[in-house]
Amino acid sequence: MANEALALSARNDESEPDHMRVPDASASGDATQRHLVWTLIEYIGRKPADITRGLMDIIGLISVALAASIDILEPQRRKIFFSLFIRQLYNTGVKALYINGAIAIFIGGLLMSRLFEYVPRQVLSTQYSYLFVVIIFRELGPLISGIILIARSATAITSEIGYLRMTREFQVLRGLGINPVFMFLLPVFFAFPISLFLMFVYFNFVCLLSAYVFILFSDPSLNFLEFLVNILNQISLNEIAINSVKAILGGMMIGVVSIHYGARATSSFDDISTAISSSTTVQLMIFFLLNVVLSLLAYTQ
Amino acid sequence: MAVISVEIRDFHIEYPDRLLFDSVNLSVADDELVAIHSQVLDGGTSFLKGVAGLLNGVAGEVLFEGFNLLKSPPASLYFKLGYVYEDHGLLSIYNIRQNICLPLQFHTTMNAADILDAVEQVCDLLGISRDLLAMRTHELNDVQTRMINLARALVTRPTLLLIDELEGGMSEAYLSSTMLHLREHQREHPMAIITTTSSEVILAQADRIYKIENHDLVAESREDLG
Repeated sequence: MANEALALSARNDESEPDHMRVPDASASGDATQRHLVWTLIEYIGRKPADITRGLMDIIGLISVALAASIDILEPQRRKIFFSLFIRQLYNTGVKALYINGAIAIFIGGLLMSRLFEYVPRQVLSTQYSYLFVVIIFRELGPLISGIILIARSATAITSEIGYLRMTREFQVLRGLGINPVFMFLLPVFFAFPISLFLMFVYFNFVCLLSAYVFILFSDPSLNFLEFLVNILNQISLNEIAINSVKAILGGMMIGVVSIHYGARATSSFDDISTAISSSTTVQLMIFFLLNVVLSLLAYTQ
Repeated sequence: MAVISVEIRDFHIEYPDRLLFDSVNLSVADDELVAIHSQVLDGGTSFLKGVAGLLNGVAGEVLFEGFNLLKSPPASLYFKLGYVYEDHGLLSIYNIRQNICLPLQFHTTMNAADILDAVEQVCDLLGISRDLLAMRTHELNDVQTRMINLARALVTRPTLLLIDELEGGMSEAYLSSTMLHLREHQREHPMAIITTTSSEVILAQADRIYKIENHDLVAESREDLG
């Protein structure tokens, strides 16, 4: 039996992709080298094709989502959409309040209140407020909120869509004459950007409050109104617009990537865990890239 | 007077490794119940899904309400087509009431009270307890799930009803009473019914019986059933 088990495991090893296999030490050096070169060429050739296919799929999903949004114009269908949209907004935007708030308290209390110690009171209105806006409002708020959205909600959506695919609920909807994109993609497509924008707002506000509370321990004379006004004065319309673009594009991309990978699960729970892992990697890369590019474009003098 | 509700012509389903159906022809009138006496893995489910237009790559024609179901018919046509799945078939994001209401909410302009009336009527017809309506899909057993599938299919008053193995896990008495109610409903609201089954109770109710043989539907007499 043990030999049979070993033989079986050996056969299973053979089903691994070429690039995963360890070269056979007993094979001749030339053959191994040739094999490695071919594997490398195949990998280099396949990767851009996979990335292009993935990008085209995502662009396709965005276009079918926009096409399906026409159904929202019909009052009966709008009711169905609205109930799913509210459910999604609640799960994504509202339930994230406490974790977003908790991280904002840590950042505000540990980072921004310490920074206050190094800025002379005389230049509070310029230096500290400017730093607060540059560090929190422009960069950390959007980045941390996006990471929370990916970790908390995007993984849940990928898993939910994967489960719905496995139990053939997309097919059930088609059999009822209902576009699955309308039911499953559209609420995410609209709720994720709005949720991300709400999360930016919570994060900035809680961070500001937390920084103020911690600063009070070392400087009880600091007036909250003065502190708040100084910071608000540093926020320009440009910064609000850039943050809105980060929320809209970032939220939309995170939602669509979740659905794209979730919908690739077909037959087993393994497919779902693979989908979650792949979608999280892609979402983090896209979201960081988007933030860096938008900040560079908007804030480079 | 009965009219032909669905006409299947040159129907062909082929998977990469297996030919299931080739040149199948079948017409079903709106007062008929046609049973496909199916065996395990003989392609009965694929036949029904193919007819409903739920499978890709099916060749031939399925003419229903003036459209070919295999050539991207309008979505609203599915309001007139009921499909009862053998397993699953319900939407897990909704409770049972919402599952039954959904086609009416999506395809009609009926108000909420009328929709609830329609749901209660169909539950009464099938003897579905009102207590089930507030439950989630995962709380139902297989028989309840199939009955809710049937209720959702009937609530739209379809003119074509496709049922995949209704009988699994049902007692003979319950199945027999469900079939009697279904035939009664068919007399009041004409619809063609095609079902796959291996149950004697359903076969006894059928107007015509076929079996799947040589990639085709072959008529089977009651004597053949023994």
